[in-house]
Amino acid sequence: MNSTGELMAQKPAATVPPDTVTFPLTIRAGVDISGPVIYLTDKNNLTVEGYLSADLNEKRSLYLGGGYSNYKYSQYNYSYVTNGFFIKAGVDFNLMKPQTAKGKYWAGVGLHYGLSSFSYEIPELSHDNYWGTTTASLPTQSLWSHFIEASPGFRAQFFGNVTIGWSISLRKMIYSGGGKDIRPIYIPGYGLAASSFSAGINYYIIWNFRYKTIKVLIKKEQPEEPEEETTPSTNTNTNTNTGSGNMQNPEP
Amino acid sequence: MRSIRNVIIALILTGFLLLAYSCTTGACFDETTAYMKASLFLNSTGKQTAPDSLSLWGAGMDTSKIYNAQKSLKQALVPLDASSGSCSFIIKINEVYDTLSAWYSTYPHLLSKDCGYTFYHNIDSLNSTNHKIVKISITKNSVTTISEENIRIYY
Repeated sequence: MNSTGELMAQKPAATVPPDTVTFPLTIRAGVDISGPVIYLTDKNNLTVEGYLSADLNEKRSLYLGGGYSNYKYSQYNYSYVTNGFFIKAGVDFNLMKPQTAKGKYWAGVGLHYGLSSFSYEIPELSHDNYWGTTTASLPTQSLWSHFIEASPGFRAQFFGNVTIGWSISLRKMIYSGGGKDIRPIYIPGYGLAASSFSAGINYYIIWNFRYKTIKVLIKKEQPEEPEEETTPSTNTNTNTNTGSGNMQNPEP
Repeated sequence: MRSIRNVIIALILTGFLLLAYSCTTGACFDETTAYMKASLFLNSTGKQTAPDSLSLWGAGMDTSKIYNAQKSLKQALVPLDASSGSCSFIIKINEVYDTLSAWYSTYPHLLSKDCGYTFYHNIDSLNSTNHKIVKISITKNSVTTISEENIRIYY
């Protein structure tokens, strides 16, 4: 009974009380192994890449990556040489539930901004037409390019503090730095510049350094409510048999 | 957990597809020569008209003709010499000879990774004899691989 003397009907518990799990926040240092592996099969393409990330909470991490790329290409009518550095910064989002991830697993997506500083050169190019073969070369040019990147991926604890994982990189060029006629065909950190969209894949070995443990509030899954046999009345003056107080009759 | 497993499988498959795509070597199917496109107009009507016969070759290259007594040709594709700032052509329209000269600048242009580079031109001026040709004019001085008329030859 409340202060006005009305009866309070007992309500079934709407939610299960929340619970918490312990979640370790870590700083990660990852090294990409796909670049050196590709280099073993293609000596004209070397990319060395790594990253650092720090958990802000169980869902978000700050990301800072970077690397170096040296790319050479030649075919019957030209050759191309480029090398340069790139950095990427952004946020990684873990889409797994904390009680599933437990700080050991990560499945999510990173959103990064990339900046590439590089130089390229065309040591020789040739073109054949009616008048014969014309040859030329283009001197070294230094450029800046920038792009954005979405990188969904997965990581799992391998042993101890070591995690392995991979991510797909889907990149959208913002500015390639090249002109209409002479432009780079490969941009370190971005890849082939023929399109405003590029894709790649990275495999990482990651070292984790736990720096803090937090308790994360989780909601337990609610059990399914049994179907009610009768439809409850919405009349607030409906009498119940649970109380022994005075019953109020409706106003005439 | 089942939904996570499905997402992981989907991402792995996507990764392999992207890897396979990235390893595919391309080929060049594009036009790689920037021709000067010369449209032929009958001066008396002012309409684009093919002459009964047209022959064309570079000056000093009599043995290598670009067109040899070609019929029904309304637009000639004329290759410019990228290693020089000018070149001349002998043009024979309906058995009458003329000489056509062009002055231009040349610059390299990247077509694509697979096609490599070609040379584009900017036409500075044209000149011709007037045995059969009445007049010539430049309609677009940028000579590229795009199919756009560059000059008009009135005969």
